[in-house]
Amino acid sequence: MTMSQYAAELCALLIEDQFGDLFARIFTTLQRYERLPLPRLKFYSRLTERQLHHGLAAMIQHHLVFHFTSLEDGNTYYAANPQAAYYLIRSGKIIHLVESRLGEYAARVMETILYLGHVPIKHLETLPDLRYLAPPAAANGVVKEEEPGEEQEPQELDMEAGKETNGANGDHAEEVLQKPAPLHSTLKALASHGYIIRVKDAHFQSPEDNYIEAHKAASNRSDIKMLKGKRLTEELLQKTEEILRERTDGDLSEGLMVNGLPRGVKRKIANGVPESASKWRQTDHNGTNGNHADDDEENDWSEDEDGLDNIPMEPSLVLRVNYEKLDVALRNARFVDMARDDAAPATAEVYETLLRRIEYVTKRCRDTTEIPREGEEGEQFSIPIETYKIVSDVDPHLDLSGCMGPLNPASASVNRRGKRPLENGVNGDNHYDDNEEEDNADDDDDVSRAYEINQHLQLLEQAPHNLASHVRLSDGIKWRVGFRGLARKLRHLELERLVEMRYGDVALRVLRVLHAKGKLDEKRLQEISLLPFKDLRQTLASMQAGGFVDLQEVPKDAQRQPSKTIFLWYFDPDRVCSSVLEDTYKAMSRTLQRIKFERNLRRDFLDKTERSDVKGNEERWLSEGELEQLQRWRNMEAILLGVVSRLDDMVAVFRDF
Amino acid sequence: MASRVTEIASRLYDACLERFEADHLFYQQDLLALDVIPKGEIDLLLKCAQSLVDQKLFRLLQGSNNRLAWKIISRDDAEKLQSLSPDESLVYNVIHSSGRSGVWVRNIQSRTNLHKSILDRCVKSLESKNYIKSVHNVKYPTRKMYMLAGLAPSEDITGGAWFTDGVLDSTFINTLAGLIEFKVSTQSWYEVPTADRGRSKRIKTATGMAEVKSESEKTFLPYPANYSGYPTIEWITTEVNKSGVTPVRLGEDSVIQLVQMLCFDKKLVSLNNGINYKAVKNPVVVKAGFNRKPAAEEEAGSPILGLGKNGMTEAPCGSCPNIRLCSPGAAISPETCEYFDPWYEKVLGF
Repeated sequence: MTMSQYAAELCALLIEDQFGDLFARIFTTLQRYERLPLPRLKFYSRLTERQLHHGLAAMIQHHLVFHFTSLEDGNTYYAANPQAAYYLIRSGKIIHLVESRLGEYAARVMETILYLGHVPIKHLETLPDLRYLAPPAAANGVVKEEEPGEEQEPQELDMEAGKETNGANGDHAEEVLQKPAPLHSTLKALASHGYIIRVKDAHFQSPEDNYIEAHKAASNRSDIKMLKGKRLTEELLQKTEEILRERTDGDLSEGLMVNGLPRGVKRKIANGVPESASKWRQTDHNGTNGNHADDDEENDWSEDEDGLDNIPMEPSLVLRVNYEKLDVALRNARFVDMARDDAAPATAEVYETLLRRIEYVTKRCRDTTEIPREGEEGEQFSIPIETYKIVSDVDPHLDLSGCMGPLNPASASVNRRGKRPLENGVNGDNHYDDNEEEDNADDDDDVSRAYEINQHLQLLEQAPHNLASHVRLSDGIKWRVGFRGLARKLRHLELERLVEMRYGDVALRVLRVLHAKGKLDEKRLQEISLLPFKDLRQTLASMQAGGFVDLQEVPKDAQRQPSKTIFLWYFDPDRVCSSVLEDTYKAMSRTLQRIKFERNLRRDFLDKTERSDVKGNEERWLSEGELEQLQRWRNMEAILLGVVSRLDDMVAVFRDF
Repeated sequence: MASRVTEIASRLYDACLERFEADHLFYQQDLLALDVIPKGEIDLLLKCAQSLVDQKLFRLLQGSNNRLAWKIISRDDAEKLQSLSPDESLVYNVIHSSGRSGVWVRNIQSRTNLHKSILDRCVKSLESKNYIKSVHNVKYPTRKMYMLAGLAPSEDITGGAWFTDGVLDSTFINTLAGLIEFKVSTQSWYEVPTADRGRSKRIKTATGMAEVKSESEKTFLPYPANYSGYPTIEWITTEVNKSGVTPVRLGEDSVIQLVQMLCFDKKLVSLNNGINYKAVKNPVVVKAGFNRKPAAEEEAGSPILGLGKNGMTEAPCGSCPNIRLCSPGAAISPETCEYFDPWYEKVLGF
């Protein structure tokens, strides 16, 4: 993957922010000169051998640097891994996602793995932070958050050292009260979701090196050597892909799935707590239940362990985070947001359940490394999911019928009451009672629920959503999702938001007309968009200046006189997307630079607040004015980081989905 | 002899007036079939027809297969025409032949082969006599076009219902678009009757959407996917014409044009291959959207009526006009940026 100027700048900034100057220096040198053997790297980066060795070792630990030892000349080459550097910014989102899916403890495990780059399980076992279920004291949490920024001694290979002592100190008192944490079943849950994978040797080499090696291995095979001509190239390509997949695939989810469901999710249905599946950004659903549920979940967790679960995972297994899979989950969250924008909440929830099922079997967002050009991109459907699976997954307390109008409004009131006496009577009165379980067992109810779920999904299938599509097979309806089309939709949504903000909704209409109809001259454009010439020209001119639309000249004769030339306006989404992506990178790095600048402005003050005696005891040591200043600074930093994270959402849409 | 021809000619004219419509094209056998010409004398018919043409009561035309054909001209028009000079009547005929679509001056010149000054004079005199008028063509705003004074210009020329004096009438369009969106919206969402409202409040909703809906008092529910009661073009056309917003009756073509525009605005979506149309937003939201400010001026707390926001629309860098010039250490740089401070103030309120 080649990086543009701003993406490279952003990656360097992120590394500097996270790991300090040494890493950033090595990284930028590698980015500037690409692949380098150690002596050249030393020469260009002007670092001492010792620094380099330490830095590289730690960076390899974090997958920030690829290394490759050539069998031909025996040299080891180093190359930057911009992808991993970029994903540093997404770690917050990832932890949040894991927390909403699998609870706080799983998020903590995930955080630790993210923090360490890759880690063997036996090392995780030794960490005091992960030994207990309850989170460390609040003050400690704050410390941990800011730690990456302040920990500027990357020479220390074991980054945990500082944290460990820290954690141990904080936990002193509570240690006795806490139960040991189910580390292994949590890891299994994470692995079966596909969020973590086994580290393989190939993961330390750049994709290009891996490909070349796989290619070599494939061409050395005896059965390949016998082939000739076109067959050879075809077969070679296929074998290479196969070997490549074999070498890089560290999927752990196989064998850990139970009935097509990963571990750790089934508890939702098992204990029947009316916890909606949409826990995304929704921590405050019914207060009492929320608090209660936490304890419950944990109890449940250990009870849940069936025979298989008691077998701990192999301690020597080395784990890392699987960004590809997490992107799938994050993308699905965006799709649900899209559904939520103009469909009923229940519909969105049904949709989320469908997407969750699909997520379990989707390994990555797309098969190609680059997003294909628009129009040349085929549709790529997900695995179809049967309705009954959704029925069993969806929250049994979700009211599916109350949020859709009747098919025949004239006889509505009669119909509505006549059709669902059961709903009104039983569910309406004792909504949270246990006889819900019996209802579920009831076959009729299941059938009608399946019907209702189909209704909801059909609604989503319709324009303007087109979020799902169905396949009708002999054994009923199955639902699937056309990922490429939806990803395209997301991209256009982001573009349109930008255009609406910058040029108004008139421009939006023009843009959509151009996108739907292709190249148009002004007259035709006016007829379709019904805009006065003056407005139209102004809009087009400003959009052209902003790079959103372009003008093509088609001369009628060789002289190319303007009066004898046809001017056609057009909108090239691929070009616009890539330029907006660059702008987004740039905006991100500028915002990060601004944070650095603001921090420097307050350097003295912040140094004081970060002193080890002040930190955690701010109220005691700081004056009122200083406290206020600190609060303001924290707000400011939070909002700037928030913006960076929002910008990352856009990068995800334009690059990763 | 001459008086006989005149008399028969006038009888022929009356008979034609009686038998044929004003725009009917008739041939020799049609005239003979009228039984006005005694014994079907071709010679006499020729003379009569010639005299009628001279009196401008008949217009001579070339029918199919190069046969001669005629059309009648009313006596009033004939008087008009008789008063014209030959050049003028030549020009008049050309303009007449163009009908409602009008004819460009340069085309008149090429068809009549008159000199430009003579043509100008003819056109001027015809215009002053109020026989012809100049019209404004939307497609070619610079061309001078003429048509008969009594005709209404066709839609090709005026650009359809959306043009007033050759200019797109945007206020009219916007009013009508709003009306259509609202009308369609009332048909695309099921309004929960008051009696049922108690029930619907209990719907478990996870997001803020529900609150917004309950605030607006009325609850609207989407219809199931196979609902077939969504408005059609015919329905919309009748509704629009019933509403009395338009001075003239709108045709279905014009309505289709407008509805398609609304589809591009993503306010309506077409279903079942464009047979039915459905509003994306429910009536309350549509109404709220009418007095919406442009996206850039929207306040933080107000409900999102547009497409919502993303990182680029929120970040100061996203709307920075100079982002292309910005780099650390340069004249425009993140350190010296003047957009951040007002932005903190706006977002954080200090």
